[in-house]
Amino acid sequence: MKINAKDVASGVLLILIAATGLWLNGDHSLGSARRMGPGYMPMLVFWAQMGLGTIVLALAFFNGPDPLEKWTGLDASMLIISIIVGTAVGLAAPYLSSFFESSYGSLGLGMLAGFLVLAYAAGWRLLAFICAAMCAFCLLLEKGGLMLSLAATIGIACLAEPEHRARPLGVLGITIFLLAMCWWIFIKQLDIRVAVWPLQY
Amino acid sequence: MDILGNLAHGFSVALSVNNLLFALIGALIGTAIGVLPGIGPVATISLLLPITFGQPATTAIIMLAGIYYGAQYGGSTTAILLNLPGEISSVVTTLEGYKMARNGRAGAALATSALSSFFAGTVATIVVAGSGPLLTSVALSFGPADYFSLMLLGLIISAVLAQGSVVKSIGMVVFGVALGLVGTDVQTGQQRFTFGIPELSDGISFVALAMGMFGIAEIILNLEKPEARSVLKTEVGSLWLTREELRRATPSTLRGTMVGTVLGILPGGGAALSSFGSYMMERKVSKNRHLFGTGAIEGVAGPEAANNAAAQTSFIPLLTLGIPANAVMALMVGALIIQGIQPGPRMVEAQPDLFWGLIASMWIGNVMLLIINLPMIGMWVKLLQVPYKFLYPAILVFCCIGAYSVNNNVFDVYSTIIFAVFGYMCNKLKLEPAPMLIGFVLGPMMEEHLRRAMLLSRGDVMVFIERPISASMLAIGAIALAAMLLPNLRKGKEAALTG
Repeated sequence: MKINAKDVASGVLLILIAATGLWLNGDHSLGSARRMGPGYMPMLVFWAQMGLGTIVLALAFFNGPDPLEKWTGLDASMLIISIIVGTAVGLAAPYLSSFFESSYGSLGLGMLAGFLVLAYAAGWRLLAFICAAMCAFCLLLEKGGLMLSLAATIGIACLAEPEHRARPLGVLGITIFLLAMCWWIFIKQLDIRVAVWPLQY
Repeated sequence: MDILGNLAHGFSVALSVNNLLFALIGALIGTAIGVLPGIGPVATISLLLPITFGQPATTAIIMLAGIYYGAQYGGSTTAILLNLPGEISSVVTTLEGYKMARNGRAGAALATSALSSFFAGTVATIVVAGSGPLLTSVALSFGPADYFSLMLLGLIISAVLAQGSVVKSIGMVVFGVALGLVGTDVQTGQQRFTFGIPELSDGISFVALAMGMFGIAEIILNLEKPEARSVLKTEVGSLWLTREELRRATPSTLRGTMVGTVLGILPGGGAALSSFGSYMMERKVSKNRHLFGTGAIEGVAGPEAANNAAAQTSFIPLLTLGIPANAVMALMVGALIIQGIQPGPRMVEAQPDLFWGLIASMWIGNVMLLIINLPMIGMWVKLLQVPYKFLYPAILVFCCIGAYSVNNNVFDVYSTIIFAVFGYMCNKLKLEPAPMLIGFVLGPMMEEHLRRAMLLSRGDVMVFIERPISASMLAIGAIALAAMLLPNLRKGKEAALTG
């Protein structure tokens, strides 16, 4: 077999995105070639992308083999479970607390829950912890202030690295060092407009 | 004003305390990330972009430029001492440079690399200063159709020169253009692909896209790889070159500078391509080509001169036409636009401080880098011993705060996460992110020029072929694409880009 699995997936991805784009572009008037409407350029671009995706897909049957990385059963099932959990938590969030009603809080909580579930699968752990760490930053920043949100971000991010998991004191050291550095750079020097400590505003 | 007068003005701008300070910061950061494998200039510049917003545009660009050419100096240190390229552009330096270090001439290799980089940087500065105004006057005669074709050519070349499959890279370019169209349509005011999200009406955040696809995705990918950083065993030794070494390195430096200067200007070109080009050339024309592979100084001097020259001349298309030649330049366009400056041929006249100040600062930056790199080499070697597990939390918090501070809105951080996941996925599928970034930056400008061109021609597509400038751009693009169909050339490209 000479099938290039990476290229099959790439081709399908390009085609799917292009098809979605063309479908969404149905709302925009095309105009004419002389007076182009808002939908004209997207139409050209997405059709080009559709064509290129098709070529990638067609060539994929001859230029392989180039298999995708192996997924374990756990990797695959956790991906589906995390999407379900994330969506459910995201939808439920506004009913849990008014905290999640503003600044995309329910989106953030849903994503955080999804990524934390996903981190259970070894294959996804790095990606999941790094993304979860960023979600925690977004959720805590406005109400909890910069210091608290950064501490949470660093803590979760360090879970991604096995050597940090074994040494909690080391993580504490990194956290204190980075908090001090961020305070000096972003608050003292650059003076960005953000609450530093919890409940400041 | 003549060039000398302009340059004098540029130096007066670049020598102001603030600009000097930021040129130094840029050069230091650039050297640091150049030395550290796994952190490249694209990721660094995208995560430092938000920090520069509080500064005047000139200062911001001076610092960001310093990071780019500073990385060319720093990258060679790791390549020579550890056989690990700190940057892609220093891959070829490992071939001869590390052999020289094994022969006990590490110091000489480092000195050669720094001195030839400095020479090339000086020449490139003069070339940018001389050709900038010249090209600008040519560019002012470009019509919308010519611009559209020129941008199309830039996109095609950047895809052709990207690693891996050309069709996939063009697919990514096109998707980048599509992402660039998200937001309010300039002419009708209609919201496109915004899903009713108010934050998207200004378009997708450039910083979120660049940081996610390069900064965050790279953290995850670097953590996946086991750390391949060996402890330094090589002695640096004397930095002084022998008379014989100097005699051998000089012609190579001259040739490397020439190759780099030319390849840097080409769309899609840049430091990486130039160092390969120069190495190939040295292996063919050098008098000591039989010594290659055993630690030939020519193989260090040429490529190192070339990558630094190219890092600087790749600013020419950006400063004169407003067209980014590579991903780093796409970031510069983003930085300028956020500062409220539309890059293009009018920039030389409208922003003389920026144009001439940047050129002068490049030369000053090169002097600083020479000092930073040669006498202080021991400090950078120490930096190499900082493990990645201590670096990545710092990169991550910089990304978070940076993405947030652009608009003081967490939505941008969420967008960064989404692009990080997408960037990770693209890497697994061998889809190149760099062409996508260039497409994203050029997308809105291309639509603008396409609309104007078609309006002027009353809807006649032939305008792109009838205008000589436009037609020749399209012809070059077609030739570049056709060339990739030839199996020999394709193999040559793969060999050149993967080393």
